[in-house]
Amino acid sequence: MATATLTADGQQPVKGSGRVLILLDGSGPSLAALQAAAEIAVTRNAEVLGIFVEEVNLLRSAGYGFAREVGGSSGLVRPLQIDVLESRTRMLAEQARCSLEQVMTSHGLVQALKLCRGRVVEEVLNLVGPEDLVVMGRVGWSGIPGARLGSTARVLVRQAPGDVLLWSEPHPRRQNRVVILLNHDQGANHRAVQVGAALARNNHQPLTVLIRADASGDQAVTGGLLAYLQGEGVGAAKVRWLPMGSAESVVRVIREEGATQLVVSRQSSLLAEQGADVLLIETNLPVTVTS
Amino acid sequence: MAVPAALTEGQIYHRCPMDKLDFETTAALADLELPFGQDRMLRALEFGASIQASGFNLFVLGPSGAGKHKLVKQFLANHAAGKPVPSDWCHVFNFQQSDKPEAIRLPPGEGQALKSDMSGLANELKTAIPATFESEEYQARIQELQEEVTRRQQKGLSAIQEEASANNIAMLTTPAGFTFAPMRNGEVIEPEEYKKFSDKEKELVESKVEDLQKELQQAIQQVPRLRKEVRERIHELNEEMVQLTLGGPIGELREKWSHLPAVVAYLDAVREDVVEHAEAFQDNENGAPAGLLNRYRVNLLVDNADTRGAPVVYEDLPNHQHLTGQIEHRAHQGNLYTDFTLIRAGSLHRANGGYLILDARRILTQPMAWESLKRILFSGKIRIESLERLYGLATTVSQQPEPIPLNVKVVLLGDRMLYYLLSHYDPDFLDLFKVEADFEDDLDRDDKSYQLYARMIATMARSSAVKALDRAAVARLIEHASRLASDQKKLTAHDRVLKDLLAEADHWATASGSERIETCHIQQAIDEREYRASRIRERSLDQIRRGVMMIATDGEQAGQVNGLSVLQIGATRFGQPTRITATARPGKGQVVDIEREAKLGGPIHGKAVMILSRFLASRYAPMGELSLSASLAFEQSYGGVEGDSASVAETCVLLSAITGVPLKQSLAVTGSMNQLGEVQAVGGVNEKIEGFFNVCKQAGGVNGQGALLPASNVEHLMLNEEVRGAVRQGRFAIYPITRIDQAIELMTGMVAGERGADGNFPENSFNRRVAERLAEFTEIGKKRDADQGNGNGDKNGDSNVNG
Repeated sequence: MATATLTADGQQPVKGSGRVLILLDGSGPSLAALQAAAEIAVTRNAEVLGIFVEEVNLLRSAGYGFAREVGGSSGLVRPLQIDVLESRTRMLAEQARCSLEQVMTSHGLVQALKLCRGRVVEEVLNLVGPEDLVVMGRVGWSGIPGARLGSTARVLVRQAPGDVLLWSEPHPRRQNRVVILLNHDQGANHRAVQVGAALARNNHQPLTVLIRADASGDQAVTGGLLAYLQGEGVGAAKVRWLPMGSAESVVRVIREEGATQLVVSRQSSLLAEQGADVLLIETNLPVTVTS
Repeated sequence: MAVPAALTEGQIYHRCPMDKLDFETTAALADLELPFGQDRMLRALEFGASIQASGFNLFVLGPSGAGKHKLVKQFLANHAAGKPVPSDWCHVFNFQQSDKPEAIRLPPGEGQALKSDMSGLANELKTAIPATFESEEYQARIQELQEEVTRRQQKGLSAIQEEASANNIAMLTTPAGFTFAPMRNGEVIEPEEYKKFSDKEKELVESKVEDLQKELQQAIQQVPRLRKEVRERIHELNEEMVQLTLGGPIGELREKWSHLPAVVAYLDAVREDVVEHAEAFQDNENGAPAGLLNRYRVNLLVDNADTRGAPVVYEDLPNHQHLTGQIEHRAHQGNLYTDFTLIRAGSLHRANGGYLILDARRILTQPMAWESLKRILFSGKIRIESLERLYGLATTVSQQPEPIPLNVKVVLLGDRMLYYLLSHYDPDFLDLFKVEADFEDDLDRDDKSYQLYARMIATMARSSAVKALDRAAVARLIEHASRLASDQKKLTAHDRVLKDLLAEADHWATASGSERIETCHIQQAIDEREYRASRIRERSLDQIRRGVMMIATDGEQAGQVNGLSVLQIGATRFGQPTRITATARPGKGQVVDIEREAKLGGPIHGKAVMILSRFLASRYAPMGELSLSASLAFEQSYGGVEGDSASVAETCVLLSAITGVPLKQSLAVTGSMNQLGEVQAVGGVNEKIEGFFNVCKQAGGVNGQGALLPASNVEHLMLNEEVRGAVRQGRFAIYPITRIDQAIELMTGMVAGERGADGNFPENSFNRRVAERLAEFTEIGKKRDADQGNGNGDKNGDSNVNG
């Protein structure tokens, strides 16, 4: 399964807590995420592990004599040959390696690239630990223009043991807020607040905590949260209570807040509901899904 | 014939009567608004400035320094004050043809308001439109549009994916697109295993894959159409948002400028342009590009906000660009750029609706300026073209501003020669400059004019900021003005000479600590001027004094007379005597003009000698042959002789040569003569007489000398004080003559004699001697002819009988 492991110093990377795993496939979104991963790794003082997976299904499909590739933009059909595909994959892997090395070295980070062959989700789940942060683009090589959530991202957000950051290029907004989305009645909020506070502190951004609740706001909770955030060094913070509405209504509020980063817990009821995809697609922000 | 009496002092100088000057100093005199004595020119100006018909532009002609410019400017300023202020003109961007800026006419003073309004609008656009695009509403709507397209794309792809899954076929993403492969339990089947499929199963799979590929191909090929659709919808949305944003400010401006349809149309064009370029306002982080916003600015070409009445513009450098305006360029990183904001108005633009004053000589010396002015006046429109384009030297794309209608009265100032040359050689000239305003050089000097001339001097003194003149100084200046006009009955109208004299007199008054300009200061100014210009005259007198130039001022001599000539060098004129000599002997009736033979004599002089030759023949040999071979020469003259003012002197000296009767060397002669022996007027009599007087003075004093001049020239005499003193004391005499016989009698002391009834002149008369001597010549001539017929004649044929 694992075919090669490369590191900057040629040694085996230390598998341990607190790594930043970056999924690379040579696509534009993955390269954009690479930069974000480097910055996060610098603030966390973490190692970076790049993962490049050769999709086994794709390699198999190229083995068929009748296999054709339909151009994603042109729609033109041409034969799909195994040797061409393999050489293209090797080239992408090399490109990923170069990009990783260049970006991480410029940030003074220790980095390694793991080349695997198999199914992407399985390979990543095999490599990631509960303390690791997975950073990935929202989409990979996607033939669908404008697609905002790829199949790998969709699965990893739910199944990864640790935090997952779905990266997308943030649009500059007037407020540039970090927004944390919580459920009043659920546990695991703490982790999301912690991650959100760290983001706001590191990026010197204001913070909004959105709490979905059936009842109206609990002053004690609000006070507690604000006190905690102040303790974490987040000066400009506010708490907003939301009714338990649909994903669309939450998305609207997130926009109203001028969010540029969103933090949400995997245990959040919204993520578990049908509207999870809506939330992830519509916000179109860098989203950190916490464990 | 009676010898004329010598002129008295009163005849050779016209004094200014002090009783006509009713003031103490010029400070008490009111300014003269318009010059007097220039009625013809003022009527022409009034007419030319008022007439509306085309081509009635003016040419004010007169000598340089006559004060044309000041007078015309002053006249037009008064005339234009009561006329309406012309329109303002702006150039604005042409949204249909960007290289042809449009021109907008606005009521005077409103140009600045439009400029300011449009500048305000551009500033507002800079902030309001980006704000609209940043609004949540806009962002949400854009997102909705994009998502709708994405959904539609995804819907098509998802349907294919579902169909594939339903048929156990995987749709996989490749770096460049999609591919299909048979699958089982979510994984692509190994190709080796697939080989084990039955042919029918394989056929089913492969035909399904092929169908799916076709469907996918169709779905993907729909994408450009979808994208185009979304682009159009985004554009529509942009337009809608910008329309809403612009609605307020543009609406207000439309309301404000509703009285000017051209401005309203322009505002509508601006709105459409902003909507069309909405994305440009959106994309740039630093706001809309400056180039885009500049399109909405206004180039205020002609601003008449502060103009009172019609404009009167004087263009002191009337070259092509200054007249017609120009399109400037801005250098940026080694390239030259221009746009409609760099169009600059010319003087024709500024004078539009009023008057443009130009110096004819200057415009004619500037390349293409005269042609451009004529073209514009003919077309009635100002079209801005660069000189290099006119010459065809540049073919680069440049701005071609919309021509502006022209209604201007051009007033050209120039000397007479230019006017006549242009009239003769330029066929367009008289079509365009139909009004001729001719400046008088001299003004009439009569009882009414003294006070007016004094006021003119007072006005001049005030405008030149010199001291006031007292009454006597004004009188002296008036007398000098007559001298400048060379006429007792005229006064010079030459503005510059008088002003210069006033300035100099003021200087001498200041130097002497006087509060006002007095006669002595005027006289000092005149004398100093004369002295400064006297170097050549002094040299000439010195040559005569030392005998290098031979001039006799006493005694008698046959065949020799003092003629008088005038030399003009620059602005200085002075007179001096010239010795004219003659020889005579028998011959074939010809008078040789040595000056002409030597090509030193001009045609007028040649004509005068021919006249005198015919006069001799008709008077002394009316029925017979004139057997005379005579010659005339201006001695020690090397620079050419022109004019007929020596013909009286030449006649006298020739007759003296024929008869051997000596002529008085104490008298100098000037005057022209016709074939009948009548004496005619000549020019420069003052300078001539003063010149001879000076020679006499340095040759041992003036005592009994004098000059002969045509009687018709007496009223031109304005002789200086020194000559007047000598005349008063009887030391110098000036004789006015009307006929040649008077000159003969004065020069020889003999009676000239008139032909009697018997056809002969009286005994002992001068003319009798001439007739007899000529008869002798005839006899000698006949004898010689007879000898030649017998073959023993004088081979030379030369027997000088002169003297």
